[in-house]
Amino acid sequence: MLQTDPPNEAAAIDVPAAAPLPALDVRQLSVQYGARRVLNGLNLSIDSGEIFGLLGPNGAGKTTLIRAICGRVKHASGHVHIAGQSNRKRQSLRRIGLVPQEIALYQHLTVRENLTTFGRLSGLSARQAANALTFAMKATRLNKRADEYVHTLSGGWKRRCNIAAAILHRPSLLILDEPTVGVDIDARNALHTVIRDLSRTGLAVLLATHDLDQAQTLCGRVGFLRDGSVTHVGGPAELLHDMFGTKRELHVDLFEPAEWATASKMKRVGFSDHPNGMEWSMLIDASAQRQTELTNALRQTDLRIKEIRFREPGLDSLFLRLTTEDRST
Amino acid sequence: MIAAVLRVMVLGLVRDRGALAMAFLLPPLIFVIFAAILSGVSGDEMRLKVAIVDEVRSNQTDRLVRAIDQEPALRRHRLESADEQGLRAAVLAGRADVGLIIREALAGQAEGPPILVIADAGRSMTGPILAGHVQRLVARELPGVSMRRMVPAVEELAGGLSPQQNAALDAGMQAMDESGGDNDQQSEDGGLVLIETLAGRSGGANVSYYAGAVAVMFLLFSAMQGAATLIEERNSGIIDRLAVGPAGTDVIVIAKFLYLTLQGLVQVTLIFLVAWLAYGVDVPGRILPWLATTLLAATAAAGLALVMASACTTKQQANTISSFLVLVASAIGGSMVPRFMMPPWLQDVGWFTPNAWAIEAYHGALWRDETIGQLLPAFWPLAMAAIVGLLAALLLSRYRLQLG
Repeated sequence: MLQTDPPNEAAAIDVPAAAPLPALDVRQLSVQYGARRVLNGLNLSIDSGEIFGLLGPNGAGKTTLIRAICGRVKHASGHVHIAGQSNRKRQSLRRIGLVPQEIALYQHLTVRENLTTFGRLSGLSARQAANALTFAMKATRLNKRADEYVHTLSGGWKRRCNIAAAILHRPSLLILDEPTVGVDIDARNALHTVIRDLSRTGLAVLLATHDLDQAQTLCGRVGFLRDGSVTHVGGPAELLHDMFGTKRELHVDLFEPAEWATASKMKRVGFSDHPNGMEWSMLIDASAQRQTELTNALRQTDLRIKEIRFREPGLDSLFLRLTTEDRST
Repeated sequence: MIAAVLRVMVLGLVRDRGALAMAFLLPPLIFVIFAAILSGVSGDEMRLKVAIVDEVRSNQTDRLVRAIDQEPALRRHRLESADEQGLRAAVLAGRADVGLIIREALAGQAEGPPILVIADAGRSMTGPILAGHVQRLVARELPGVSMRRMVPAVEELAGGLSPQQNAALDAGMQAMDESGGDNDQQSEDGGLVLIETLAGRSGGANVSYYAGAVAVMFLLFSAMQGAATLIEERNSGIIDRLAVGPAGTDVIVIAKFLYLTLQGLVQVTLIFLVAWLAYGVDVPGRILPWLATTLLAATAAAGLALVMASACTTKQQANTISSFLVLVASAIGGSMVPRFMMPPWLQDVGWFTPNAWAIEAYHGALWRDETIGQLLPAFWPLAMAAIVGLLAALLLSRYRLQLG
C-alpha cells in the first residue's frame, strides 16, 4: 500500500487534512446549453478515500458534469464544493487532479520531464516539484520508466503517467475520465491497483467509465447519470440486490438477430434484447429445474444460438435495464 | 510556470530535427537563393550567353564582335555550326540565351538594320537587353558607324551635301572610328542623358530588401507552425489538465508568445548573418534599428499566429488557413515581389500586411540609414499587431476553454 505521509515539501502545499467535509459536494446543479438542459438538479457527494463510479450512456452528461466540477461551465443553478470550498473560487480548483481520457502529456518529453513540467505548472517550486515527482512515480510505480520518452511507452504505462501528472500537487479529488481505455487486461489490473492505493491515502476518486466491470470491481459506490441527474446511487452489490434480489440472469448469444416473430415471442416471455439484437437476457429464479426447462425451450426454437449462460446479474445488467427503460420512455 | 512551458517548447524543437531544419536552416537557404537570383536580375551578375554569326566579316564587324567578347555583361556562346540556322537552333534549344546575326556592313546603305537579334519567346527580355548592349558598344567602339547611318537623313533635311562636305565628313568619321574605344562611357549617348546608378551604403539594395522580405515571411510561417502546438495541447487534454491548476490558459499563451518571439529572433539573426557575411549588408553598423525591427516583426508574427491557433479547432484547419494567409500576405506585402512592381491599388492593400511594414522598416534601417525615430511609422503597426494579437489570443483561449 502506498505510504500516506506526503513528502515534507509537498506538505507545505495547501492540502487539507482528513476533513469531515466531503471531498466533492454537488447540490442541485443545473447546466444548460442554450435551450437544452444537460444537468438537471444533480446531487452528488464523494467522501475522502472513496472511489465513486459515474456511469451512464454516451450523451448522458458525464463530460458536462466533470467540466462543471472543474469550473469550466456556468451553472444555471446549484453549487459545487471541493473540500468545502465553492469551485467558483479559483483556489478550490487546485484541489482537483484531472486525468483526461486522452493521454494529456508531452510526447516528446520523458516521464520525468513531463512530471517536472506539470509539477511546475501546478504551482510547485522547483524543490517541491522534485519531491512531488518522487511521490507520484512511487504511487504509480513509474520509477523504472522515468527516463523514457512518453511516445515510446505502451498504452498502460502512458495511462500511469497520465495519472501521475494529476496527483503531483496532492489534490483532494482525483477525476478519472475513462482511465483504462485501450489497455490490456494486465495493464488494466495494474492501474486498478494504483487507483485503489491512491484512494487509501485519503484521495477521493470520481471515476467516469463505460467499463461496468471496472466500476463493479473498483468502486465503493456507483451512480447512474440519467436525464441530467444521478440516480441509483449505492454500492454495486447493494444496488444489484435491490434490483435483482436472488434472481440469476439467463444470457443468450446469437449468431444472427432473431426473426421478428421469434423476437416478439421472446419478449412476451420476459427476455430483453441488447441494442445489437444478437444478445438476449432474462432474469429467472435460481432453481436448476427452471434453468434446464428454459435451455431446452430455447433449443427448440429456430434461433441460431452461439451460447447460453447463467450468471449473477452485474452492473452491465443493471445498466442495460436502465437504458432499456429510458429508451422505452 | 512560463519557464516550464518555454522549456517544453524548446525541447520539442530541439528533439524534432525536421522542425529544427525548417526553423533555422531553410530560411537562410531560401534567402541565399533569392539573393543570388535577385543580384543577377539587378544586373550585377547577369551575363547573357550570346551566339554570334558574322556574315560580313569586315574590320568593323570584327571590332564589334571583339567588343562583345570583352563586355562583362555578355558571354560568347561558340556555335557548332556558325550560320543562321545553327544560331536559331542554339537559341531555341536554350544553349544560347540570345543570338546576334550581322547581316550587312554596319555603315552600309542597306534598307533594313544590318544587325538582327534573335530571342526565344520564353526569354523575350533578352532581345532588348542585347540590343541595348550592342547599340552602346557600337556607339563606344565605332562612333563613325552611328554617324554614317545618320548622314542620309541629314542630307535629306539639308537638301544634299557638297562633295567637299562629304569628303570632310568621311574623314571625320574615319578619325572617329580610329579613335573609338577611348570615349568616355558617360558621353556615349551624345551627352543627352547621363545615367547614374545610386550605390547603397553597403551590400546590394535588392539583397538588403530580400533579407527583410524572406525574414518576415519565415517569421510568419514558423510562428504559425509553433502556435499550432496550442491546438495539439487543447486536443490532447493538456489544456484541460492545466485549466484546473493555477496556470490556466494565460500562462500557456504568454509562454508561447515569448517562445515564438525568441525563435523568430534567432531565425532572423541567421538570415541577416548570411546577408552580412555573404553580401556585405551592414547589419553590425545598424544593429539597434535592425534589432528593434526584428523584435517587433517577431512579436507581430507571434501575436498573429497565436490568434489564428486560438481561433482554429483542428491542426489541419490551422495549417490550411495559415498557409493561405501567409502566402497571400507575403505576395501582396512584398515578400515575393517588390511592391513597387504592383498596381497602385495592390500596393495600398499591401499596407494591411505585417510583411509590408517589416520590409519597410528593414529597408529603412539597413538601406536608407534611418534612425529608430524615423522608423516609428513602420514600428507602430507591427507593435499594434503584436499587442492586439496577444490579447485576442488570451481571450479566445479562455473562451475556448469554456466551450470545451
